[in-house]
Formats: sequence, C-alpha cells, structure tokens
Amino acid sequence: MDPIEQVKAIQEKALSEVAGASSSEELTRVRNTYLAKKSELTSLMGLMKQIPAEEKAAFGKVLNDARDAIQAAYDAKSQGLESAALSAKLASEAIDLTLPGRTLCQGRVNPYWIIVDEMSEIFASMGFEIVEGRDVETDHFNFEMLNVPKDHPARDMQDTFYITDTLLLRTQTSAAQAHTMLAKAGKEPIRMICPGKCYRRDDDDMTHSHEFGQIEGLVIDKGISLADLKGTLELFVRKMFGEKREIRLHSSYFPFTEPSVEVDVSCAACGGKGCPMCKGTGWIEILGAGEVHPHVLEMGGYDPKVYSGFAFGVGVERVAMLRYGVDDIRRFYQNDVRFLKDFSEK
Amino acid sequence: MKVSLKWLNQFVKVDDVSPETLADKLAFAGVEVEEIRRLAEGTNLVIGHVLSCVAHPDSDHLHVLKVDEGKKYGVHTIVCGAPNAKAGLNVIVAREGAVLPGETIKKSEIRGLTSDGMCCALYELGVDKKYLTEKQVNGIEELPIDAPIGEENVLAYLGLDDVVLDLKLLPNRSDLNAMENVAREVGAVLSRPVTIPKDPIPKAAKGDFAVGSETPRCPLFAVREVRGVKALPSPKWLVDILAAEGLRSLSSIVDIGNYVMLLTGQPLNLYDADKLPARELIVKDDYEGDFAAMDGKTYALKKGDLVVTSAGVPVCLAGILTGIAPAVTEDTKNVVVEAALFAGAPIRRTSIRLGLGSESSSRFIKGINPDQSERVLDLATQLLIDFSKAAKVLSAVPYDILSHERKTIPTSLTYLNGRLGTSFNLSEVKEALLRDHMAIVNEEGERFSVVVPNYRIDMSGEADVSEEVIRLLGFSAVKSVLPSVPLRIEGGYSPRQKDKLAVRRYLRGHGVDECLTYSLVDQSRRASYEYLVVGEDYEIKNPMTDDHQFLRKNLLRSLLDAASYNSAHQEKDLALYEVSDVDAPKVSGLHLAIVLVGNEAIEGRLETRPYDFYSAKGLFEGLAGLLGIAPTRYRLEPLQSAKEEFHPGRSAAVYLGRTLVAVLGELHPSALKNLGLSQSAVGMEIDLGALLDLRTGLAKASVPPRFPSVTRDLAFLIATKTDYEEARKEIAHLDATISEVEIFDLYEGANIAPGKKSMALTITFRDPEKTLKDEEVNAIMKRIIDDLGAHFQAEVRQ
Repeated sequence: MDPIEQVKAIQEKALSEVAGASSSEELTRVRNTYLAKKSELTSLMGLMKQIPAEEKAAFGKVLNDARDAIQAAYDAKSQGLESAALSAKLASEAIDLTLPGRTLCQGRVNPYWIIVDEMSEIFASMGFEIVEGRDVETDHFNFEMLNVPKDHPARDMQDTFYITDTLLLRTQTSAAQAHTMLAKAGKEPIRMICPGKCYRRDDDDMTHSHEFGQIEGLVIDKGISLADLKGTLELFVRKMFGEKREIRLHSSYFPFTEPSVEVDVSCAACGGKGCPMCKGTGWIEILGAGEVHPHVLEMGGYDPKVYSGFAFGVGVERVAMLRYGVDDIRRFYQNDVRFLKDFSEK
Repeated sequence: MKVSLKWLNQFVKVDDVSPETLADKLAFAGVEVEEIRRLAEGTNLVIGHVLSCVAHPDSDHLHVLKVDEGKKYGVHTIVCGAPNAKAGLNVIVAREGAVLPGETIKKSEIRGLTSDGMCCALYELGVDKKYLTEKQVNGIEELPIDAPIGEENVLAYLGLDDVVLDLKLLPNRSDLNAMENVAREVGAVLSRPVTIPKDPIPKAAKGDFAVGSETPRCPLFAVREVRGVKALPSPKWLVDILAAEGLRSLSSIVDIGNYVMLLTGQPLNLYDADKLPARELIVKDDYEGDFAAMDGKTYALKKGDLVVTSAGVPVCLAGILTGIAPAVTEDTKNVVVEAALFAGAPIRRTSIRLGLGSESSSRFIKGINPDQSERVLDLATQLLIDFSKAAKVLSAVPYDILSHERKTIPTSLTYLNGRLGTSFNLSEVKEALLRDHMAIVNEEGERFSVVVPNYRIDMSGEADVSEEVIRLLGFSAVKSVLPSVPLRIEGGYSPRQKDKLAVRRYLRGHGVDECLTYSLVDQSRRASYEYLVVGEDYEIKNPMTDDHQFLRKNLLRSLLDAASYNSAHQEKDLALYEVSDVDAPKVSGLHLAIVLVGNEAIEGRLETRPYDFYSAKGLFEGLAGLLGIAPTRYRLEPLQSAKEEFHPGRSAAVYLGRTLVAVLGELHPSALKNLGLSQSAVGMEIDLGALLDLRTGLAKASVPPRFPSVTRDLAFLIATKTDYEEARKEIAHLDATISEVEIFDLYEGANIAPGKKSMALTITFRDPEKTLKDEEVNAIMKRIIDDLGAHFQAEVRQ
C-alpha cells in the first residue's frame, strides 16, 4: 500500500476512535495507540527510508499533518469529556434551594436608641455639637442655673430623686445648658443637643417612667429669635415624622425660657383631620421650648443685651411611642426580644 | 383654680361662647384647661309634686306615683323605685325624651304599668356623688316645699346650670388663682371688656389692735377687727358659687373668708378676737415648740416656720393652719380678719415638712398680689356687715415695709420683634398690651415703657413683655427661619462619639441586640457583678420604691435581668448589649455589657453553636481591633472571685497595663439557676470609656514583603494544663524568622493519653532579606521540636 494511503487510513481510524471515546480512560488509550512513541503512526516513520528523496518532504508533511489532526481531535475531545464530567458532577451536587440561609442575624435595636441616634444624626448634620452630660447632677446646674432657685414653686413641677441636699439625679437634660455656656466662656455661639437619661419621682405606668430619655437643644448667638426656633423645629419634625408635618406653637411656662412654648405637630395618623390618636384635635403635643431667659444667659456668662438663644427639650420615648405606636413606656425598659424584633436600624 | 362660668360671666361676657372654645383660646394663650365639668345636665326636666304614692301591685319595692307637673304638662303616672318616694314630695321629673348623662327617658312599661317619665336623683343629672349626702345618693332628690311646680329650668333653680373650667395653672400665672384676674385674662384673650365692681369702703372706727412682724419673710400684715358678727347661713348666691368651686358652705363668716380669697386671690385668716391672748398679732420665724392646730393635731414647730403669735403664744401657722384656741366657731362674736403677705419659700418648706397644704398655703407658695391687702379687708368687712350682721368695724395700723411701687418695664418694638421673630407694628403691640391690662407710658418713637398691673408678679423684664405680646397676638405670626451660625463653631460628632457609634454598629452587625435598662436598682443588685467599679455607690435619699434605690455600678446585672425576663417568656438564644454611663462617687465612666445566652444567633438553625467563653472573648478582640488596640496591649488573667457569679475556670479579667478594663466569663451554674436561665450564658462588662480614651496612632502603611514565606505544620502532644499561649510564645521567640504561630487544631479524648492534648500549629517563617531554603527551615523546626520537648515534654506526632 502506498505509505501515504497507509498514513491517511491510520489517521481516519484514529479520528473515528477519538470521536467514539466515551470516557477519559478510553481517550487516553486511543492517544497511547496513535500518538505514543511506539504507536502505529510512529512506526510508519520507518517507511521514510523507502521513499524516494524527492517525495520524502511530502510524506513527512502528511505524517505531521496526521499527527497534528489526531492531537487536535484528542485535545478537543478531552476538553469536551472533562467539561461533561464536571457538569455531571455539578448536577449531582444540586441542593435544596428552599432551606433557610445561614446568616448571622443583624442585632436589633431598642427603638429608644433609634430615636436618639436619628435625632443626633439630624442635628449633627445641621452642625450641632452633641454634648453628653451626667446622670448625677448638682442642684446648682439642674435647677439654680436654670432660674429655679431653692423653694421656687416650679420645683413642684418635677419631683426629684436626691442623693444629698446638693446632689441629685438630673430631672432634665436642660442641666447641660449651663455647663455648655460656661465652657464656651460667654463668647462663642452655641449649637448643641444633649441626649440623656433623666429621672423623676413618678410611679411607673403606661405613660410615666421614673427613668426616661430626653434630648435638650440649645442655640445661642446674636439675634436668635423665636423664628429660628420655629424653623429649626419644623425641619426636625419633618425629618422625624415626615415631610408633610406642620407644627404650631402655643404659650406655656418653663422657668428657663421666656417666652415659653409647647410645640404641637400635626397628627401623622390622620394628617390633621382628627382621629383617636390625636384625640380628635389633629395635633399632638411633642415638645417644650422657648427663648432662653435673659437671667439664664446672664448666669451662663452671656450678656443678654448682646446674645439671645432658644432651647428645646423633647422626650425620647414620647417620640418613639408616637412614631412606632408603642402603647406602654415600660416596654422600652423590658427589652423583650419579641418587642425588639420589630426594630432594626439601617 | 376652678372657674365657674356663671360667676365669670358677672365680670366678662362668656355666656355666648362655648366652654370648649373658651378652653381652646385660653390654652393657646398659655392657660391650660384641665377639665370642663358641667355641674349637671339634662333636658326635658320639670319640677313636679307627688300627689299620691301607692305600692306597685307586682313588686315589693316599686311605687306608682301620680305626679303633678304643672299647668303645661298636667298629671302623669311614674313608676319609681326610690325608697324615699312619698306623697307630698316636690321632685325633679325627667319627662319623656329627656336626655340625661347616662340615659334617654322613654315612656315604658314597668311590670305591666306604663311609666311616663322618671323622678331623678341628683347624681342621675351628673352631679358628682362626692358632693352629695348618703340620703341624696340613695334616693330621689327632695326639693323644698316652696319649689315652683311646673318650673322647666330645673338646673337654674338648683343652681346647677353652671360649667366649671378647671385651670391647670403653671407656676408663672399664680395671679389666676383669683376670679377677678381670670376675668381680666379671659377679657384679654377674647378682646372683651371686663367689669370689676368698685370696692366698697365700709366705715371703720379707729381701733387699737396692734400688728407687727419680726421677720423679713412677712413684710406686710394687716387686720380689721369686726365686732358683733353672727354665724348665719350664707345667701344662696354665695352657697352656689362655693359649690361650683368645690367648697361646702359652713357659715357666712367662714364662707366670706373663702369667697374673698377666691375672688381676689388674697388668703384671709380669721381669729376669734376674744380668744386671742392679747390684742396683738406678731409674726415670728424663730418659734420652737408645739402648736395645737384647729385640725385637732399638735405639730412640732421649728425655727424657720412662720408663725403668727399673740403675747408670744403661736395662734396660727402662718398661711397654713389656724390654732385651735382662736379658731372661729358658731359662737364667735368678734373677729380679727387678717390679710398678710408671707414669703413662699418658708411656707413651702413648712407645708412639705408637715404634710399640710391648703388653698391658702398654695397661694402664698405660688405668690400673691402684694398690693391689695387694704382693699381686700374692706371687701371682707363689707360682706361681714351685709351677711353676718357685723355691728362695728375697727381699723388697725398695718405693718407694711413694701414700697408698693408699680413695675415699669422699658422696651421697644425692635426688641420685641427681634426676640419673637415677628414683624408686628407699634399699634398692634400696644393694642395687645392694653388688652392685657398693661399701661403704656413714656412713648418715644418705637420705644415705650409698660406699666405692669400689681397682680402680675411674674413680670419683671422685657422678655416677659415679649411673651405677653406673642401669646395674645398668636404664634402663627412667628416666621420660620433657620439660624445662620458662623462657620467657626464646630459641630457634628466628636471622634469619641464616632468610635462609640462604630462599637454599637459592630455589635449589632454581630447579631447582638441593643437594650435599655433602668439605672436604679435594688439592694440585692447593688453589689453583684461588682468588678470594674467597686465600693461606694450613690444612694437615693427619697426613693419611690425599694426596687429603684441605688444607682448601679455595672450594666451586666441589669442585662442579666433582661435575659432572665426573656427566658421566662420562652425566648431562647439571646444576645444582648447595652452601652451606658456608670456613675459612682469616686469613679464614673462609659460601660458596655454583653450577655450571650444559649446558641449563636444564626438564622436557619440547621446547625447551631453554643455561645461560650470564646464568643465573648472574640467580641472583645474584635472591638479592640476596631478601636485600633493591638492584642499586645492587653492581657487576660483568670478572674479571681469568691462569688458564685462566673464559672471559676472560664472567666477572665482583661488588663490594659495595670488597668482592669473588662471582665468576662461563662456564668456560674448557681447564677444561671438564680436567674432562671435554662441555657448556658456568657457575660462581659467592658470599661468602654477606657478603651475609647486610648490613643491609637495613625495607621502606617506597611510594604508587602519582597521574599516569599514558608509555612510548616507541627502537631504534638502536650500536657492538658499547658496553655496554648505558653506554647505559642515559646515557639515565637525561638527564631527571628518565625513571623507567625497559629493554632489550627486542638484535640483531647480517644486515642490521646489522659492528661495530654494534641495541639496542631501552623508556623510561618520569613526572612525580609532573602528566600529561606528548606535546609534552613528544617534546622529551625528541629530546634522547635527539641525545645518543646525540653520545656513541655511535648512529643511530636508524626
């Protein structure tokens, strides 16, 4: 047989065996048969001697082409077999996609902290400093520096826990006002809030707690008026309760502000039309505020002829109760995880 | 202050305004109405006369009445169950269709007989039972014999057609403890004229009764001596007013005292002139001793209590309570009427100390008009003449060291608008102030002065004037702007606050829930889990309950209570934390406590891992890492404690240098039992403030090593009691090329000799200057193995 024909026959046979191989073992055997050192194709190299010199080159090319073709077919087949095997393996590894995921749960947050953090965020973004006072306060800072001297009838508005005659648990975060004023030496303008726990001798019930959170706010500068207070609180209320909320002020009394106001926010539940939540009035009382009393400024080292300011105080639980519909203030202190599960902070 | 609208209407017209509208308007001006109470309610009422009363044939307690309801309505049959029903009574009939507070009256069949209406008791018309006698509560109201039969305006006839506004007065408006001033306020709020009758000036002869004060706390003391009085029944108008104000009529003399106080706000005190030890009254504040009061009790008085004395004998605890001896009785003939000014502070102190309070003491505490004692005495005297048949009035020289000068406050339109953020014009502002009964003087362009009425003792400066303007003109006039604040003031979170937020976020990210617990704890908790802060705590002098008496020194105990609460409610697998200040007399700081109960909070729960010591330790290490505190800066030591709080072998104290910054551990079985926890639990308390205070330098970028490292694993048997850290340190120090030693397996149990454990470590070798050769590493490994053998008798496992 013509050696070239022989080569072509082997090539054909090899290619068909490669194509027919159904496993990588079989394929390896085919490769060993046709491409190994002692394969049929290699043995044909021996024929080279018999080939006339002028045809040697042509024969060599045919032989190489055959080898390359078989190698290429083998490579392709081998890749195909591997990927088929991988697919089969992966198919066998399929799992029940409906089983629960494995997550380390995000810790929940007592809604008290959501309000404190969010309010701090709102006011920090407005450039307010966040001041942290202490729970144990002196009578001097909790009362006297706020225009409530000893035996003043306004002391009856808040029943106080005393540690000694002069040391007490703060009844209001307003105690931070004088600390801040004195720290700024009566010269620097002030923009601050002070979130913290306060204490009053109240019997614990659905709406009263002997411990509760309050956030005091204070702004002092030249020319600060009630209009600044209104603008600031409007912004705060809208960020906290929604863009459509309105506020209204009405006259009230706190010893350390003059004029003093109570601030109502339009009811979020009914949009101000009146519902059980707002007792039909369309408004909900949310916080107390006012222009800082000249005497308080003076005691804090600020000349009331030059400086003026506003202050406000808002109850943390009160805001949380309104916002989330919490029915009982005691829930904040129980930390029942069934209650907490409704709250996770973004 | 209770405000009878009928009485109020005598001074300012309010009968065309609904009580709700009035309350609303007052609230906006700063006077809160706590309650609107109608004394009685009912339509279709008529006064009837019971013509006959027979027993109901089918009942043992019902009566069948024939009631004459006057010419217009005639006679009707009413079935009535009241035990006091009888012929001849004049009664209140609620006719068919009458709407009463609790029901609507319909013609109805009662045991076969038609009842056409109902005879009423007063409480059925809404009168509070506390104002009624037992007889009135148990039966129908028995009207006087001369009651007008057929009268339809029954509530008016009864004096019950009144509405009472209960004002919740804030401390600055003590002036509204007087009806006259309430009328002035209502006039100002409604823009209506107010008519206060001119004061009478009764004729008085010159008397010799002496008064005085030995204390600056009583700068004013005035009296009248009124002779020949009789304790008569008060006229109906007075009885009605007192009833509306919640007071029972006693006798004309006492009633007049109360009436004048309600009208003017000036408390009066009455003495039986014949029972005073001397014809003098002197106020002192240095009396010590017993005082027999008219309530029958004896009080121990101290220096500082204000007392009115006569011949050195205390006859009245000033402003609070009269003595038993000179108190006015039915037989009193001659009275001394006192109108004084006592300082609020001492009255408040005495009243709190002795637990005594009255309408009069509360008025002194809040402050009264200092400028009206003489006119009030004249008013009281005239009433005593008119209604107690007083025969003679003797004047006395008052003790009075007050200047009685009117307060004048200079201000300007610019100031007012500037403070209020408004743009009122001058005439608006003046109109509001005039409406508020202020006078305006010294006008000069936009500057002027405000003369304050003497009863407005709360007003002292310009700021007060601004409040008057805005509360009357309305807060809707206030503009809304945002304060422009100079850039030089720095705001936002401080670095420490940012760190605190990061710590809290870290914990929530690791599945720990943020809690809030009470800071006040009870006796049993004050000294438990006392590790970071020990010793003295703050004790509340006046606690509300035993449960909240001491300021806590740690948060862990409170969090364990929260865990216990949840466990009692079948909640398992808890992870809780709280960040809070801790305050004690000698130390205060910011703490963080963590409690882990049961299994890790992995959702899905196909596999679970219980929380253990290492869970808490891991959180500590994570937090330290977060705050940039290198592990080399702190060390753990076994926690030494005799208390059964933590597991003695699974608890540690963490030190930064010499400072204890944290304790952590698995809970002692007894502690778990006491807390009612059925799962195991881990607790940790960290002095977070101390960690936040640590200064950590700025991060420095490190250059990645140029030469590759070599790692070798080494497993060996070692004594169980040898800690990992000992072995790790030993190896780490053996050669400069050892850059890391990490444990990857630890095993004790089957196939391992008792007292031994198998420990497997990965050791990393690195030379910054060159690539390490195998032979070099082999040599070091041999040294390691020899050293472990020598130091710990460790045997290498092949």
